[in-house]
Amino acid sequence: MNTPSSLEDLIAALRCLPGVGPKSAQRMAYHLLQRDKPGALRLAHTLGHAVESIRHCAKCNNFSEEEVCVLCRSHKRDAGLLCVVEMPADLLMMEQAQCYRGMYFVLMGRLSPLDGIGARELHLERLVRRAQEQPCEVILATNFTVEGEATAHYLSTLLNAQGIKVSRIARGLPVGGELEHVDSGTLAQAVLERRVFSE
Amino acid sequence: MSAHKHRLENQPAFILHSYPFRETSLLLEVFSRNHGRLAMVARGARRPRSALRGLLMNFQPLELSWFGKGEVRTLHSAEWQGGQPQLQSTALLCGFYLNELLLNLMARDDPHAALFDYYLMTLQRLAHETDHAATLRCFEKHMLQELGYALLLEHEAGSDKPIEPGAHYNYVIEHGASRDVEEGLPLLGKTLLDMAADDYHDPLSAQQSKQLMRMLLNHHLAGKVLHTRELIKDLLKN
Repeated sequence: MNTPSSLEDLIAALRCLPGVGPKSAQRMAYHLLQRDKPGALRLAHTLGHAVESIRHCAKCNNFSEEEVCVLCRSHKRDAGLLCVVEMPADLLMMEQAQCYRGMYFVLMGRLSPLDGIGARELHLERLVRRAQEQPCEVILATNFTVEGEATAHYLSTLLNAQGIKVSRIARGLPVGGELEHVDSGTLAQAVLERRVFSE
Repeated sequence: MSAHKHRLENQPAFILHSYPFRETSLLLEVFSRNHGRLAMVARGARRPRSALRGLLMNFQPLELSWFGKGEVRTLHSAEWQGGQPQLQSTALLCGFYLNELLLNLMARDDPHAALFDYYLMTLQRLAHETDHAATLRCFEKHMLQELGYALLLEHEAGSDKPIEPGAHYNYVIEHGASRDVEEGLPLLGKTLLDMAADDYHDPLSAQQSKQLMRMLLNHHLAGKVLHTRELIKDLLKN
């Protein structure tokens, strides 16, 4: 059987999604064309619109439709705090926790030398410029993976050299966690990084 | 049942690197003491409540159990061995460097128990000592030796004439040090003898051994770039 070339193109295009192989791409294409043509048109339209209108906020580097995003324009946020996170999903988590009223910077990744992602690929100099705009404390909230830790170390060296105050979010047992059920790595690190109980 | 025939239990191992795989799994590059470098899938390791999450960390001694005999094994369980503080700051970057070397130079499924033990000892040194350059030089030398590219440090190339500390030599790749050649890297005899003794206190030895190692590693890497080296260089610039 001959597959029409536009169908073939569609299948090939769908494969750009993460975790979508030839079989899944074929299934999606058949579904869109056979069962949900309006949905397909909506997808095409919104996808085109999003790609054209979404860019990176000039201040926080997060996805935004405007030059500077709503969060960065808000007057209710504390401009003396700048929290660095890896991905937009991390920013959402921070906002959900309602523990933080400062500004953000989204790296859109992490340093991962073994994957060939270095300081240049992440455009870290943009963060340094952002931190220099006004006096502030930079809170490093990158993940506690080895790559996240390496990123935090790199950033702290970079920012300290500019005389900027840098802090790192704490790690340890989860809230409501029981020692009996926590993994050994977390427990070992929590003991190593224990702190003095003061009044 | 055939998978169970190829089941291995409680093998000492380190994670060299991990990649996200499918929706919730990890693809691991493992350095095991008895079976060398292996690729392994850790199913569901990226699920929020996965017990493997805090365990599958680089630079931590683990005991892994896996099955399968194909190119990619399947991880069955992991046990924390402990005793190794998590690497911080520059030591962490040096740890990445070790892993990048091993990933690029060590073939899969080729056991190197002595190198494994040396890697373990090197991580301890990175965690507790401050002269990381000396630690890295020692590791590079032992790694090349274990992988079959040993350096000739105590005798001149192609003879049994001992190296003299005060004499000047040229080190030629895959040949050794010699006084009679024009090409190669110029070195002092003392540098070679210090390297043989793993002693990097002398600043000149430290500097020349770094140049020698860089030349040899670049040769064995055959054009591959070490990203960690670039990263450390970028960091030192600031």
